[in-house]
Amino acid sequence: MTSVIDYVPGSTLLHRLNPVTKLALAAAIVAATLLADTYALLLGLLALTFALAAHAGVPERLARLLKLVVPLGVVMFVFQLLFTHTGEVVWGFVTTDGLATAPKVCLRLMGVALPLVLMLTVTRLTDLANACVEVLHVPYRYAFTFTTALRFVPVFSQEMNAIMEAQTARGVEYDTRNPVRKLTLMLPLCVPLLVSSVGKTDATALAAEQRGFYLRTRESSYRRYPLVARDWAVLALCVALVALAVAL
Amino acid sequence: MTSDSPIIRLEDVSFSYGGSDHPALDHASLDIASGEFVGVIGPSGAGKSTLAAVMSGAIPHHYRGQLFGAALVDGRDTCEVTLTDISRIVGSVNQDIDAQMVASVTEDELLFGLENFGVPHEEIPARVAEALETAGIADLREREIATLSGGQKQKVAIAAILALAPRVLVLDEPTAALDPVSSSAVFDTLRELNASAGITVVVIEQKVALLCEHCDRILVMDEGRLAFDGTPREVFSHGRELRALGVDSPRVARVSNSLAEHGIIAPGAPCLSVAEARDLIAGLLRGRSGVRAGEKNPAPATAAKPEAPDAGPAAEPVVRFHDVSFAYPGSRATVEHLSFEARPGEIVSVIGQNGAGKTTLTKLLNGLLKPASGEVVVAGLRTSDAPTSRLAAHVATLFQNPDRQLCKDTVLDEVAFGLELTGVPADEARERARAVAERFGLPLDAAPFSLSRGQRQMVALASVVVMEPDVILLDEPTSGLDYRECMTVMETVREMAARGCAVVMVCHDMEVVSDFAERCVVMAEGRILAQGPASDVFADEALMARAGIEPPQVVRLAGELARTVSPAFAGITQVSGIVDTVEEMVRRD
Repeated sequence: MTSVIDYVPGSTLLHRLNPVTKLALAAAIVAATLLADTYALLLGLLALTFALAAHAGVPERLARLLKLVVPLGVVMFVFQLLFTHTGEVVWGFVTTDGLATAPKVCLRLMGVALPLVLMLTVTRLTDLANACVEVLHVPYRYAFTFTTALRFVPVFSQEMNAIMEAQTARGVEYDTRNPVRKLTLMLPLCVPLLVSSVGKTDATALAAEQRGFYLRTRESSYRRYPLVARDWAVLALCVALVALAVAL
Repeated sequence: MTSDSPIIRLEDVSFSYGGSDHPALDHASLDIASGEFVGVIGPSGAGKSTLAAVMSGAIPHHYRGQLFGAALVDGRDTCEVTLTDISRIVGSVNQDIDAQMVASVTEDELLFGLENFGVPHEEIPARVAEALETAGIADLREREIATLSGGQKQKVAIAAILALAPRVLVLDEPTAALDPVSSSAVFDTLRELNASAGITVVVIEQKVALLCEHCDRILVMDEGRLAFDGTPREVFSHGRELRALGVDSPRVARVSNSLAEHGIIAPGAPCLSVAEARDLIAGLLRGRSGVRAGEKNPAPATAAKPEAPDAGPAAEPVVRFHDVSFAYPGSRATVEHLSFEARPGEIVSVIGQNGAGKTTLTKLLNGLLKPASGEVVVAGLRTSDAPTSRLAAHVATLFQNPDRQLCKDTVLDEVAFGLELTGVPADEARERARAVAERFGLPLDAAPFSLSRGQRQMVALASVVVMEPDVILLDEPTSGLDYRECMTVMETVREMAARGCAVVMVCHDMEVVSDFAERCVVMAEGRILAQGPASDVFADEALMARAGIEPPQVVRLAGELARTVSPAFAGITQVSGIVDTVEEMVRRD
């Protein structure tokens, strides 16, 4: 029942880093991935992500996510081949330039998605919000909105599942094998889902206000999130990583 | 600020929502004294939630509408202080458990309010530990809220409010989504808070037996007004009037009220517990002939159920589970070796605690899940071969939450939708839908989502009835409904059964089960422990204990009377049965 972005508790170095540092680390890997232009570096960054996941004890989580990302990567691969017309024709619409760039696009997609998810897997949402407020001076209401949205993802997906089951039991063919038909059948479900989500967000807003949401300041958080030596060290590594990607 | 002035006072309060000119609360005046434990009950749409919202300050600060009169919390008018300041005194817990959570881990959920209200940081650890301890969830401190059960989540919500040390707790149907065991646990926690910490508790609740057991005072609401206000004993002595409003009474109160109506005892305060009713009847019959004599009086036990199960075995079963097992991938939840049958015209109830596998059984029946081994045959179709959407023509499911099955713009389209899906021509489908919707008194052109919760359930029920299915599957058909709506749903189900439909229902309300089901299938830990006629199953105390089910009050009363007073009470499941038996014994001399 766990979703891919659920927090996995642990006490590894990665877990203990300041949430802001983890965010910076993920951002640095993403930035480096976007800047990188060699296979060696792209694969190296992916390997780094997996090494970090292994260190934090969550490699199977990333592997699960990979199952979702790889099909997307394949689609990107095919599109890249379709739309690259330069270079010599190898076969049909496939050109040498297409073959040269398509795998990189595919790798970049994975390189961007995985570090962000890894970061969410090893950070409690509340810590992320509080640290962003304390260290980055993000207004609390934005941090709260963001974490609430993330927290609602599994809640809504459960709701969606329950709705689909109810509709299937009524005879709507969600068990069809035709994906286009399935998608057209899913559209009417937006109504019940929307109704329940509007109700839920309103109830959440009221519950938060009744627990003093508007009194909250930057000093409110019980836990403090100072940047300590290991955070500065990792931040320095982040800068180095991006510099490396620019240089290569 | 003195302790004898009321902590909450409503002075002639009326409120109507947004554009509506119909008042949801209509000239309500009441005082709630510090330290009271007050239960609020009433039919749907009576203004219970509105009353709670007025007490917690959500009205006028969150919901828009027209407010008249004054609501005073701790002596201050709620219109003149902010919602945040009211929240320092009144903590509220809502019906939707998921929506009131703001964090993903239990501890953070508790910290949120403490941090916001600026509780000094050195006090926070003690406050968190104490709140968790009081709510009985110290072991859940580090848990992800998403992985908790409904009952546990509700306790987290209560603990999060407790940590703020409010003087009043206002709870809006905190047990609506919980099974009987978790519901009692929540009320035990509230009782404890009220007794030891002196916190005033105001709780809206539909489960009358719980209210009787725990509350000092009960408010009955009807059409925005206070219909009754008094101790449980005072309120439930008006059983007949309450019933007219659509409010149930505990069955033991019905027994003593009914004895009074038959002139057997003097009218007065009703019994509120099984022990009281037992003592009352034992006292009445002491020294009578027939008591201890041991002749069985079979008439009342069967009189209540016109459709005796004798007619059943002749017909071929329309639902057949044969040694069915199923396991969810990546989870320990399984069901094993399920075998049972349901015949046309029969109402079978599946009972057991949360997590016993009841929902899995229903999903195996309507084809949402396919058995891993064994076979499920419904109306001649093996569910493993037939797609779920094809089974839908034979099995109609009424879900606990009607909002999940509604998806059309008008009631008529909604009711006709299921028929159209199974290939009935549009004209005919709409004609049949119109007939059914009119029989239920539903507004044909209204948007289903604009209706009340009870009416939405009726729309869902109409879309089940219109299918004229071979099997009706009910998943908690009565949760969230008031007594009157509950009876309408169940009477409709009984009619469908009489017309030859097999009914399989999962239900937590043992009173409903004992009133309507002919047969019970008892489940625990993914297995069927036993099955048989409802009265036999409920009378088997060892079985009930093993399944963690509390039998209905009348069955417990009959059991105790059969043991201590006369065997003539054995096997009685209805209030009328008890009353008739007592009357016969009293009149005989």
